[in-house]
Amino acid sequence: MSDLREIRSAALKSWKALQSSPEPVISLGTASCGRAAGAMEVLKSIKATLRRRRLKARVMQVGCIGPCYLEPLMDIALPGRPRISYANVTPGNARSIVESCLIEGRPRPELAAGHHGNGLRKKDEVFLEGIPRFFDLPMLKPQVRVVLRNCGLIDPENLDHYLANDGYRGAAKALRMGPKKVIDEVREAGIRGRGGAGFPTWRKWEICRSQKETERYMICNADEGDPGAFMNRSLIEGDPHALLEGLLIAAYAIGAGRGYIYIRAEYPLAIARLKKAIGQMRKLGFLGKNIRNSNFDFDVTIKEGAGAFVCGEETALIASIEGQRGMPRSRPPFPAVAGLNGKPTIINNVETLGTLPNVLRNGAEWYRQYGVRGNFGTKTFSLVGKVRRPGLIEVPLGMPLRQIIFDIGGGTRKPFKAVQTGGPSGGCLSEEFLDTPVDYESLGAAGSIMGSGGLIVMDQDTCVVDVARYFLNFTQQESCGKCTPCRVGSRHLVEILDRITSGDGRPEDLTTLQTLGETVKRGSLCGLGQTAPNPVLTALRYFRPEFLQHVQEKCCPAVVCSDLLQYRVVADKCTGCQRCVSVCPTGAITGPRAEPHNLDAEKCIKCRACYEICRFDAIAGDAIVITSRGGPS
Amino acid sequence: MSKQKNRIGLQIDNRNVQADPGTTILDLALEQGIYIPTLCAHKDLSPYGGCRMCIVEIEGVRGLPTACTTPVEEGMAIRTRTAKVQEERTDVLRLILSEHTSSCLICDEEEQCRTYMGTIRKVGVTTGCRSCPTDGDCELQEVVDYLGVKDLHYPIYYRNLRVEKEDPFYDRDYNLCILCGRCIRVCQEIRTADTLTFKQRGPHTVIGPAYERNHVEAGCEFCGACVEVCPTGTLSEKARKWSGSPDREETSTCSMCGVGCQVRLLVSHDEIIGSLPAEDPLVNKGQLCVKGRFCLGELVNHHTRARVPAQFEIDTHVDVSWDKAIDRAAERIAACPPRDYAMLVSPNLLSEDLYLAQKFVRAAAGSANIDCGAREYYGQAFNAYLDLFGKSVPLADLQQRKAILCVGLDVRYGRSVVGVELRRALKNGAKIVSVHPRRHNLSLVADACFEPEPGQEAALLEELARLAGAPSSGGGKASGRTAKTSRAGTDSEDRRRLERVARLLSRTAKPVILVGSEYLQRDTGRRILEAVLRLAECTGADLMPLPAQNNFAGSVLMGAYHELLPGARSFAERRNRVETGALWETGLDLPAARDIAAALEGGKNLGLLHLVGETPLRERPAADYLIYQNIYPAPDAYHADLNLPAAAVTESSGTFVNGEGRVQRVRRAVPPAGNALPDWDILCRIARRLGKSGFEFSRPEEIQEEIASLVEPFAAGLEERDPRPLTFSGRLKLRKRRAAGRAGGGRFPMLLTKTLPEHAHRGFTLSTWVAGARQLFREGTLSINPQDAREAAVAEGDQVVLKAARDERICRVRLQREQPRGTLHLALGQGEPVGPNPVPVRIRKHEV
Repeated sequence: MSDLREIRSAALKSWKALQSSPEPVISLGTASCGRAAGAMEVLKSIKATLRRRRLKARVMQVGCIGPCYLEPLMDIALPGRPRISYANVTPGNARSIVESCLIEGRPRPELAAGHHGNGLRKKDEVFLEGIPRFFDLPMLKPQVRVVLRNCGLIDPENLDHYLANDGYRGAAKALRMGPKKVIDEVREAGIRGRGGAGFPTWRKWEICRSQKETERYMICNADEGDPGAFMNRSLIEGDPHALLEGLLIAAYAIGAGRGYIYIRAEYPLAIARLKKAIGQMRKLGFLGKNIRNSNFDFDVTIKEGAGAFVCGEETALIASIEGQRGMPRSRPPFPAVAGLNGKPTIINNVETLGTLPNVLRNGAEWYRQYGVRGNFGTKTFSLVGKVRRPGLIEVPLGMPLRQIIFDIGGGTRKPFKAVQTGGPSGGCLSEEFLDTPVDYESLGAAGSIMGSGGLIVMDQDTCVVDVARYFLNFTQQESCGKCTPCRVGSRHLVEILDRITSGDGRPEDLTTLQTLGETVKRGSLCGLGQTAPNPVLTALRYFRPEFLQHVQEKCCPAVVCSDLLQYRVVADKCTGCQRCVSVCPTGAITGPRAEPHNLDAEKCIKCRACYEICRFDAIAGDAIVITSRGGPS
Repeated sequence: MSKQKNRIGLQIDNRNVQADPGTTILDLALEQGIYIPTLCAHKDLSPYGGCRMCIVEIEGVRGLPTACTTPVEEGMAIRTRTAKVQEERTDVLRLILSEHTSSCLICDEEEQCRTYMGTIRKVGVTTGCRSCPTDGDCELQEVVDYLGVKDLHYPIYYRNLRVEKEDPFYDRDYNLCILCGRCIRVCQEIRTADTLTFKQRGPHTVIGPAYERNHVEAGCEFCGACVEVCPTGTLSEKARKWSGSPDREETSTCSMCGVGCQVRLLVSHDEIIGSLPAEDPLVNKGQLCVKGRFCLGELVNHHTRARVPAQFEIDTHVDVSWDKAIDRAAERIAACPPRDYAMLVSPNLLSEDLYLAQKFVRAAAGSANIDCGAREYYGQAFNAYLDLFGKSVPLADLQQRKAILCVGLDVRYGRSVVGVELRRALKNGAKIVSVHPRRHNLSLVADACFEPEPGQEAALLEELARLAGAPSSGGGKASGRTAKTSRAGTDSEDRRRLERVARLLSRTAKPVILVGSEYLQRDTGRRILEAVLRLAECTGADLMPLPAQNNFAGSVLMGAYHELLPGARSFAERRNRVETGALWETGLDLPAARDIAAALEGGKNLGLLHLVGETPLRERPAADYLIYQNIYPAPDAYHADLNLPAAAVTESSGTFVNGEGRVQRVRRAVPPAGNALPDWDILCRIARRLGKSGFEFSRPEEIQEEIASLVEPFAAGLEERDPRPLTFSGRLKLRKRRAAGRAGGGRFPMLLTKTLPEHAHRGFTLSTWVAGARQLFREGTLSINPQDAREAAVAEGDQVVLKAARDERICRVRLQREQPRGTLHLALGQGEPVGPNPVPVRIRKHEV
């Protein structure tokens, strides 16, 4: 035991040294989301600036802290001063920020998003004037960071950082408690599977533990495949040890000697970080034979998936690990009884596992302070779509949708229309559901699901028919093709929606959508097919008038479905600049310079090129408008 | 009683029933005689749950679970045909039909059509559509009928896939596929061949070999198991496509090789329309290989079959009556001095035919000149091969064995039934070692593969025997050098592998050695087999010779060689001759036998040559008079003086003795083609015309009775199919063949190996009569490694001149990655002599 204590105190020392470093510390969010926003260029610029100006500073790459709309995020902590986050940094202003902070010792309040100080001293208050506290920002204030507690704050590749922040305390405690007590603690905490279905985690574990077969497997499902979902990726990239510690705890609880992390190959950074973390974990003695003298052996293998959505389904995932085609099978037997290689197997989602260290470390009682009865704890969401402040968030369960979308997400620019919860398997909820608390049962009652945590917000410019078609097309493309209702049924649903969005909808189509959707739901073999019609069924339920408009009036009120649109030049506004004439690929727009142009609807292919150039070019002046057929002009 | 206690009680359709735990609802329903429609379920395959036709309602269970995958539970209340269930089934069926061509399923004319074959045309013709090869024999049709689907309200999605016809024997029209996955499961679970899989996903999901290869490239064995389980017309036999369903079946023994699989011959209007594996627990366990599954029917139905006796007059064949033909045959045989009469029989004949043939030669023609085509096939190795039978074990034992050595055995096309057994043994933990000239299907699963250089096989096996602890042979003349086991590996690497295999064989209880056909015609064939015998001796291994000829064992047992009498007893021993002669009521002091094979090869004139199911040469054998008795007419070049049409294997009854020593029945399924007669009948008629007694047989059973008194394995009666010990006391006198040296630099840098046609029947290669076989077996083509081909500047399909020291020939090349570099392989065609084997050669492109 003492060696862990020593390691931990050494880790704490190095973490403290970082906090009170005599050199400035620059941390940059370089998870996939940061990189997509250009963090690597910013990093280059920071390093070049340091070199050129002969400045000394520690540069640290951290994970994602959440607010995607602020990426790339660069934090600078000057010695003895609180850390300050600068948002939307470009290689250009990174240089000027670094220079002014490091040379002049002066923060740049106009570029700063917030500071990370706590209990500020007087002189710090002066120093930080004009900069809000980062976690008091409207997006972050209502959030509770349990699973994501380290993301964006520690260096994910540095084990010391994790250890200094209570890392592996939960696992160490679990190993002392014995498996039975671990399961009890998890039951007490009331954790439900964060993969979507919300099945009580402890119950699954207990079924597995009660099997006679002692060769068991623990699998982490990191096959995050919902379009627009990135919770798991962010967690793994920002804090890989949290997942590994949780995996160890779960494996210990069910008595599994071997663990797998099934992660999609499209997550190279997450895989690299996991690999590194597994090496560190092994060095630390939390992997291998007789872990910390507990008589418990455990090892873990990363299995890279090829990116099939259906492999998120437990039995398909198992088939994929076995080297078979990722194809689900009927249950029973459940994986907890006969899973990988026919042995008892537990599959838990990344987030479920990420929660475990916290629960074990702090106790069930502590965990139950978050959330509501039956739905304890927190849930991470990727809040995306037409919200002002998209990002990765973590909130206690039971928070109303309104608070998530409007307080955290900052609402939509145009009037709010709908929110899709649960990704392509979830439902499209209208405004009247904004006060629904986000918990498994309430969302289920509304015809949607919690899912793994995708929240896609739509405003008036989004066509729900088009969205339903998009999601259904996704699931039908990702169907494995095994069972008839899913393979053929969803294809028909897509076909009908295609027809409706292209103006060929027939009145009976809505009935067919409804009955066929229900057939697919009832008749499909696995969760993919059973939930695939959810987007269209909920859309039909809550946005029927919009469907009717498409079918009867051939009108897309959101002005999205291109076959139903008309392009027009408003003569009063047209300056005759000929920009649109030059971009039109079919020669549909004509007219002499300085005179209002004509648009020939016959030739127009609705490519939107003229609209874009007219709208975003000052000379042109918004003269081209798009309206829907049948709709108001 | 205790079994009763374990049963669980539940309710199905309001019936209280008992079931064993673990059975599925579908099993229970079948047991109770309750029909539940299914499409993807199959009795031999694992539950799948894909088609959703078998959904049922269970009280207290959410949704509609599938009967095929749900195990029964105590107290379950199942309802199999509630309105809700039927409605859901109908809806799902409509979805299936929206992807499947449905004109054969849903048609206004349907009811009338089946009775009256009405037409919508305005003229009074009788018609009826046949839009699908399985129309009338389609499981989808059954389900449509059951659910009474009369209309479709979903648009039709025609997949518009190309019908795949390029592979032999069966066509694939995936436009008809309902993706039930049966073909994949049978390929993976039963055949363990893993050729088929699902490809793509979502609406593009389709079945086939991975990576867009065709079936030949993907290693398909063409066993046809997938065709048999397909519930629709997606997979259909080319030959049987439009033959409809059979009106009866007959179980018989396959005549395509020595494994002796049991087949169900499908008969429609007294014609064989196909063959399927029989559910036989002893030999093939419901499996067949490509030959038994697809070649048998085509072989006996070929349009060129001999149907009437014909006599060569002036320069043409003239049909004659049997009476006249028998007269003529008897006349010529009577006129021929016994020393000049010779008969060559095929090892493919029935035991009864073979027995009668040798009796005919000895007792009716008074000659000793009887020989069997198998002598050429086994060549130098003949006697050693007979020795293998002494330690032979049944095929069914294979699954329990833990160490298996395969010598010169390829199980891809021929004997794929053995391949299935081997792969099952593998699943039971067996280790397989293969010694074969080139990579083949087994190489993928074998633990060790040796590809010895041609000529080095015996040394390799001898070394293996030495390492496994054999007393050194040849009076301490131990070979100083290690046999080189492959062309690539280093000596020490080879050595380690050899030692590992030797350890495996010597330390595993009861290893087994399978002997295939690849090395039999080699110059060193005898040495190879003797090494196998020695290896078996010192490791305690059992043997499994797998003869290529269906009745090879029968040919030996019946005494169809001049050295052997019935019972495989030596002809040279007077006592045997006296005993047999006494039974036949004739003396057997015959003039000395002539070596027929040598005579044929050397072009020495035989007075009267009587070929029964054999076609030994390409040109007319040198004989004054040639009687050609076969199911096909003689090749034109033979100018056979008398053609006697024989009944094919499906047209006469009798027995075959397989490689295990099982005496198995062959049953007449259809009447002979035209006026053909069984071989034994023809011979009896001639003998009687010659005025000989002892040929008054009218049924094969009578012949069997006589055989039983002379041949031990037949004495036990024919009802038992258990293997009988095959101990052949007599031995053949074998001619020495000239060997050719090794290859090496200079003029003849490459080594050519040759094999006689393994896939042959009654003197012809299967390729002669079966179109698909031509695509697979490719006799007459020269296999060459692509790199060697590049160096020699030849491409696939080119003609090359193959030059050896003493002769040269022209043949077409076929590029094969499996062929080791520096070697060539020629699968000889019908009637081609082997000659020195292996032989150093050089090749060059043949410029036309």
